[in-house]
Amino acid sequence: MIDAIWVLIAAVLLATFVGVAAMVYIWMERKVSGRIQDRLGPTRVGGRFGWLQSLADGAKLIQKEDLVPDSADQILFRLAPYVVMLGSFVAFLALPFSNGWVAVNLNIAVFFMLAVMSVEVFGVIMAGYSSGSKWSLLGGMREAAQVVSYEIPMAICVVIPIMVAGTLNLNTIANQQAGMFWNWYLFQSPILFVTSFVYFTCATASCKRAPFDLAEAESELVAGFLTEYSGMRWSFFFLAEYASMFAVSGIFVILFLGGWNGPIPIWYGIDFGDVWIGKFFGLLNFLIKSSLMVFVMMWLRWTLPRLRIDQVMTTCLKYLLPMSCGLLLLQAIWQVIFPNGLVGWMGPEVFNPGGYPLDGGQP
Amino acid sequence: MDYFSFRPVLFTGALFLFAAVAIGMLLAPLLLGWFLRPHNPSKEKGDIYECGEPTIGGSDAQFDIRFYVVALLFIVFDVEIAFFFPWAVVFGKATTLAKSTLSEGQRQHVSAALLGEADVEAVTPVAADAAGFLQRVALMDLLVFFGVVLVGFAYVWKRGDLDWVRAMARERAVKTAAGDGPPSGTKSPSLSV
Repeated sequence: MIDAIWVLIAAVLLATFVGVAAMVYIWMERKVSGRIQDRLGPTRVGGRFGWLQSLADGAKLIQKEDLVPDSADQILFRLAPYVVMLGSFVAFLALPFSNGWVAVNLNIAVFFMLAVMSVEVFGVIMAGYSSGSKWSLLGGMREAAQVVSYEIPMAICVVIPIMVAGTLNLNTIANQQAGMFWNWYLFQSPILFVTSFVYFTCATASCKRAPFDLAEAESELVAGFLTEYSGMRWSFFFLAEYASMFAVSGIFVILFLGGWNGPIPIWYGIDFGDVWIGKFFGLLNFLIKSSLMVFVMMWLRWTLPRLRIDQVMTTCLKYLLPMSCGLLLLQAIWQVIFPNGLVGWMGPEVFNPGGYPLDGGQP
Repeated sequence: MDYFSFRPVLFTGALFLFAAVAIGMLLAPLLLGWFLRPHNPSKEKGDIYECGEPTIGGSDAQFDIRFYVVALLFIVFDVEIAFFFPWAVVFGKATTLAKSTLSEGQRQHVSAALLGEADVEAVTPVAADAAGFLQRVALMDLLVFFGVVLVGFAYVWKRGDLDWVRAMARERAVKTAAGDGPPSGTKSPSLSV
């Protein structure tokens, strides 16, 4: 019963978080793009820095007429944003924000998140197909080809840190990286270091972010699958996009960057146990790291030119996929040759001061 | 123990709750907007956007979807990867147990998780060299299982099915076959992705 209430509270908190985070990230994207393009970005709304710009945009969008083209498939057209949002929001069910701060502590969390987030592509294809516009159809079909291809190297890159962790529970995976920053899986082997880059490239593509935003491609397809959408219904796609950007960054942070563990365990020797303040600092760590990765996605978007569709497919099928397969095999061989790991001479228990058991670190 | 605490009812309930919250997040602003937004449909607004020109034809034109081979490849690889996840968990636990630096308590915990025993104290801990043997067996399994798919992948690559621009692949095939003229039955798609 207590668990059911906890899930309910978590759902409401996460809904609030996703809404607020999307607004903050959209504002951040505008400021970042402004700086990169040598301009200021929004400056007026909210007094300074235009920090209320997203809210103002929302107030404008909610007053816009809800247009559905005559030639569109009415039901699918209206349904598409819900499918996209389902895909990116339900994934948060299994994403822990700090030790034990997760709606449901799933033992297959990372697998669940990957599976649910791939539902998003159905919404985009639905939007593209049902609009009745050629631009939308091309955008939707590109998205299908792209996401379907990038899912393979992304999933293989997720398997590689799991081979070190030996569990699919994201909470346990993060706890296993407690201690000094060289306990993070990013530094566990040179193979994992390379893997993190491959994963992040695929994650960027799976969120259809530039340079992989072929589904929108405003310079060739008008707005791709979004061409016929307007007002609130249009903005829902962006809400889902920023939510899934945070979700893939969160997976990245937990799998490679130590989750909510800071680089140096300054709380060494002070056993916080289940005290919430330790977890609160963990939450801050997690949010800072994830936001940093979201920032890197923005940085890439405004720095790199968009690829062509054949280049996108070649990048995936002929470069990233063989690379990820090779990394998987190399990491397996590495672990057989060096079971104690690169920093194994220190021993996991020396810098694992929280005393978490290496497996089953459930609070 | 996290491996034995999976509660299907709680999980299913949470899944439906999250789905309901996601739908609610979109419905609430749409319903609020119902009172605020205008509703003046007209012929022009109902048209689809084609850069301001009158539209020519619908979007139900035939065109080359192009990625059906990629989609087939995806199915094979995705099934493969679904099997990798449990393999990776076992391999990871075997690696952890093969560490000579592991403390007794940790060895007990990981052994219990590997063997699927709920009672941690009752488990005989797995020795480091036994875990190393399990690791090597698992690696062999991976090489056989993965090798089969990689051979198939190499075949598809060689056949040119991974090339997005088919015309180039066809040209190359013609060139290598030293044939004269393009193969019969080639037609260019009217609308390409």
